[in-house]
Amino acid sequence: MKLMVSVKRVVDYNVRIQVKPDGSGVVTDGVKMSMNPFDEIAMEEALRIKEAGNAEEIIAVTIGEQKAQEQLRTALAMGADRAIHVEVDEDIQPLTAARVLKALADKEQPGMVLLGKQAIDDDQGQTGQMLAALWDRPQATFASKVDLDGQKAKVTREVDAGLETIEVDLPAVVTTDLRLNEPRYVKLPDIMKAKKKPIDTTSLADLGVEAAPGLKVTNTAPPPERQGGKKVESVDELVSELKNRGLI
Amino acid sequence: MIEWSESQQSIRQMVRDFVEKEIVPGLDEIEYNGVPPYDILRKMIRTFGMDELARQNFDKQIARDRAVEAGEVSEQPQADKGGSGAGGERAAMTLIPIIELSRHAQGLVTAMGVSMGLTGGAIMSKGTIEQKERWALDLLTLDKVGAWAISEPNAGSDAFGQMKTLARRDGEGGYIINGNKTWITNGPFADTIVLICKLDEDGVAPEDRKIVSFILDSGMPGLEQSKPFKKMGIGSSPTGELFLKDVHAGPERLLGGSEAGYGRSGAKSTFMQERAGVAAMALGMVERALELSVGYANERVQFGRAIGDNQLVQLKLAKMEVARVNLQNMVFRYIETMAEGRQMTLAEASAMKLYAAQTAMEVATEAVQVHGGYGYMRESRVEQLMRDAKILQIYAGTDEMQVIAIARDLRQRAGT
Repeated sequence: MKLMVSVKRVVDYNVRIQVKPDGSGVVTDGVKMSMNPFDEIAMEEALRIKEAGNAEEIIAVTIGEQKAQEQLRTALAMGADRAIHVEVDEDIQPLTAARVLKALADKEQPGMVLLGKQAIDDDQGQTGQMLAALWDRPQATFASKVDLDGQKAKVTREVDAGLETIEVDLPAVVTTDLRLNEPRYVKLPDIMKAKKKPIDTTSLADLGVEAAPGLKVTNTAPPPERQGGKKVESVDELVSELKNRGLI
Repeated sequence: MIEWSESQQSIRQMVRDFVEKEIVPGLDEIEYNGVPPYDILRKMIRTFGMDELARQNFDKQIARDRAVEAGEVSEQPQADKGGSGAGGERAAMTLIPIIELSRHAQGLVTAMGVSMGLTGGAIMSKGTIEQKERWALDLLTLDKVGAWAISEPNAGSDAFGQMKTLARRDGEGGYIINGNKTWITNGPFADTIVLICKLDEDGVAPEDRKIVSFILDSGMPGLEQSKPFKKMGIGSSPTGELFLKDVHAGPERLLGGSEAGYGRSGAKSTFMQERAGVAAMALGMVERALELSVGYANERVQFGRAIGDNQLVQLKLAKMEVARVNLQNMVFRYIETMAEGRQMTLAEASAMKLYAAQTAMEVATEAVQVHGGYGYMRESRVEQLMRDAKILQIYAGTDEMQVIAIARDLRQRAGT
């Protein structure tokens, strides 16, 4: 079985995000970028599946600018066997990403496509679900545990009510939650070796995919700054302050 | 190189995560309570595959040595041709863990560096193939702990002049060694010791004695290793004494396989390697001192405003940033030099060491000052940086010896 893992280049989670003055987005120039942490968890899960003898090959995929190859190199250093870079300069919307992954799934025929449950840049959280619909295969989202059993996967999902375990037929789409695993440290010799692993570059046109510019970002703004609080001396004062502000 | 590459940045982040998760929680036990640092260092080395890299490099070097021995290739090592950059990548991968460890405990770098770099490196550069295979590989992977012993109670900067540890030929090809060594990093725990001493020959005046070096194993009859000293700083680097009483070393232990194998020039080339590491250590310490100081300057309020609003505090922060930028540029320059397969001059390597040591001390001292009373407390961590920084001005050649080395090299190259 082949596993396909999609990884996205995002602003590193340690970076303090700054909004561009014109509100068109966030500053990414000179900012540290890294692999979306949820995708790293997806990559780690794929490695564990392969190491347990349930998969033969792991293909890492990214959709994005030239520099997104850095994230593919990280995936290759972690242990992916090869990588596909779909080079696109514009921002990628979930539907476009899902169409690309569908086209690649048709071509590669993976037994499972693993994705982070969302990317930490735009927090859309839609690509996996859209892919499952387009590909017409089952989906198991927000996975906190994945067990393979022949042509099926048993997936525990983190949902509002607690943990839910479902069984899906393979091929399937799995999106990964935070507690699924802890990604490994990459070994320095593997970083060197990753430089020699193959990356295929392709484009939307090559894959016959049309971009889906259905969403338009109209404005990006930083969250409002927190106002300073006020200390009150007594319960009575608290109640009257709350009343004055129309909060009770 | 004006910035770490993306891949180097992600290595830094990864090593930092490891240090903060795996090393920092147990650090005080190592730093202050005598727990040896080697297990946690081994864990780091294995986690990042540094042992695997060392093994690969070792195999390459041994294959080369054998080819040289068979006369298939010339003895001159082939420098990386400009542009290949592999030497630079290797240098960066060596320096990044040094920088990241030094943010929390420079002593760990000292313990690791002396074992892998200094002791393992000495055997790799001058040892015979048999000696490399028997002793060096285990040191390069830190499976075994190494010590490099030159200093003596009366022989510090003037190591060769005052050296009293003597080896006498035993008449059967071997040697009998007597003497004391002190301030030896890893001395208390070393499995393998490179011992530098003088050859006591009949009819040779003490000042004309040759320098010879031996590879010794812990537990040899007559060799005693002291307990760790109590020190001002770098508690995570065990330091001690070695006592040698009629230690018998066979000819296979003579480093380089002959009495000329590892003398003054060998020991001196080892000094050169130590100096680049100091700039990386200083960079890690200065980065951390600056981060802690900026954080505290923003958060500490006195007289109704953050202390960072005061120009006297701002001046301290600004000077720390100047130091950080300079040190980072030095580290980048060193990596670029390695990438091109070139060597630094002795003056440059020494200048780098001198600047790095002085700067780390100044920045750490000012970081304590910015933190005030809190900075004097162990909890603040800046006081440890200050105590740790002092050793950089003393070991691997004192500041004063670096000045002499710089001036001498400059004057010699000017041809006067």
